[in-house]
Amino acid sequence: MNNVEAAKGYHLMTGSNPYLLIILLIAGALVFALTPLAIAWIWSRKFSPPKPGATKNAIYECGLESKGDAWIQFKSEYYLYAIMFLIFDVEAVFLLPFAVAFGGLPVGGAIAMMVFVLLLVEGLAWAWQKGVLKWG
Amino acid sequence: MESLEQIITRAKAAVPGASLEIVPNGSPSAQHSVLVDNEHAVAVGTFLRDDPQLRLDYASNVTGVDWLDTVLERKTKVKRTIDGVEREIEETVKTTRPGYLEVVYHLYSMALKQGPLILRLRTANRAEEAVVPSLTPIWRGAEFQEREAYDLYGIVFKGHPDLRRILMWEGFKDYPMRKDYTEPDDYEYEPTAHDEVLEKAKAHQAANEEYS
Amino acid sequence: MDEGLRSELRKQGILTTTLEELYNWGRKNSVWPLGFGLACCAIEMIATSMARWDLARFGAEVFRPSPRQADLMIVAGTVTKKMAPQVVRLYNQMPEPKYVIAMGACAISGGPFKQGYNVLKGIDRYIPVDVHIPGCPPRPEALLHAFMTLQRQIDEQALTGAARPRHLHADAPSEFNVPEYGAHDLEPSSNAEVWRPPSVGEEGALAKTA
Repeated sequence: MNNVEAAKGYHLMTGSNPYLLIILLIAGALVFALTPLAIAWIWSRKFSPPKPGATKNAIYECGLESKGDAWIQFKSEYYLYAIMFLIFDVEAVFLLPFAVAFGGLPVGGAIAMMVFVLLLVEGLAWAWQKGVLKWG
Repeated sequence: MESLEQIITRAKAAVPGASLEIVPNGSPSAQHSVLVDNEHAVAVGTFLRDDPQLRLDYASNVTGVDWLDTVLERKTKVKRTIDGVEREIEETVKTTRPGYLEVVYHLYSMALKQGPLILRLRTANRAEEAVVPSLTPIWRGAEFQEREAYDLYGIVFKGHPDLRRILMWEGFKDYPMRKDYTEPDDYEYEPTAHDEVLEKAKAHQAANEEYS
Repeated sequence: MDEGLRSELRKQGILTTTLEELYNWGRKNSVWPLGFGLACCAIEMIATSMARWDLARFGAEVFRPSPRQADLMIVAGTVTKKMAPQVVRLYNQMPEPKYVIAMGACAISGGPFKQGYNVLKGIDRYIPVDVHIPGCPPRPEALLHAFMTLQRQIDEQALTGAARPRHLHADAPSEFNVPEYGAHDLEPSSNAEVWRPPSVGEEGALAKTA
């Protein structure tokens, strides 16, 4: 059986619409995923009654009594720190391919990269001078 | 290290007005200790720590001792006239020594590798004036141990930076290491009860039988 | 299905099971303990979970750091009165079905510290205990034995009917009273819903409770 015939047989199997196979696969995947969830849901409804309670639903789970709220405010320095970290994280992502391709780069590429790094260094110097890196 | 007498003489010279006396230890260890009056205890402690010959820079152990009211018996010979004849008879005189609490510090020198010097502080009584000065400002390591002595003996350390209970919970009223402490009676069930525990368990028995 | 027919079928090479058995088989082989220790017994518990004794053989190697994901609480060690409310609260935070192994002399009765002022005379005064193991500390084999005993207990639990266990009853409690710190002792000193003291006999021996 050559390829053309195989394709023909394939076409016959799925009927005229070529998307039918995909739809079948999606339906199969959904059944596969949802059946255990449905069984678990029915089982819990039928056999294991939910028993919520004040201690059980408490936000803290170390045995000590929960005090206060879980929605507490963080210091704004924390976010500044996180943003600084993010900038240098992205910088590292760009620096790695630059370093790998360094040998084959024209002079323009190297200069562009230097400008990029210098911009970030300037940002760091600015943040440093603003006292963002000082904690507390 | 110098002898206790030498240390006391020098401490008295350094801290005028301080009263220091040796409390002898009769046991084979013969570890005699020094009793310091509360008023000058901090000054004496500072002297012991800073003196170049002693440099007792390490308080290895702080503990409490509970002394209940004790009856001291002393036999004396008294002359009495009985039936017109003067005789010498022996009489026992009973005096009650009021109880007090004691704090014992074991001091070592890390710098000069010597020690221990045993320091004792005494409270005035066991009830409302169970107060001694805190030596935590001198030896930082005494902080938690003084808190423990406060927790278990009820000794109040004046000048302690953070005097709270450390082992028992806040709101606990008793001082469990005192000799007149009675523990809560939760002896409802004892599998192999005997002696006093059996007595306690029996007291619960009537209540227990209601259940069964 | 009665036992005779079942064994007859098994001889013919046909395995039969019930939903209840399948359910219990799954549960008993995936008991996740709560990872916490109170005293020296915890060291034995850790040894049990490691390579030499290997609790993983019984499906219980996953020590959960959160009570919300644990099925089994191994009370490993001395329960001081200061710690007891925390232990009860952790038990309350575990989802049903939950089980408790009281490990060692202290956890079952107070042990050598029984006559002290600060040790709880058995954690069964506040929470229902499924398996007690004596020993100071119990060897890992003893903990394994306790674990197998618990597995047997889980295996025998009915899925329906009046005899079904607590977690299948909608109105049975899932949380137990957390004791408060009192002026002299924990208040109350035991939970009457969970624990009733057996009576003490004349010679100090435990009187027979029928």
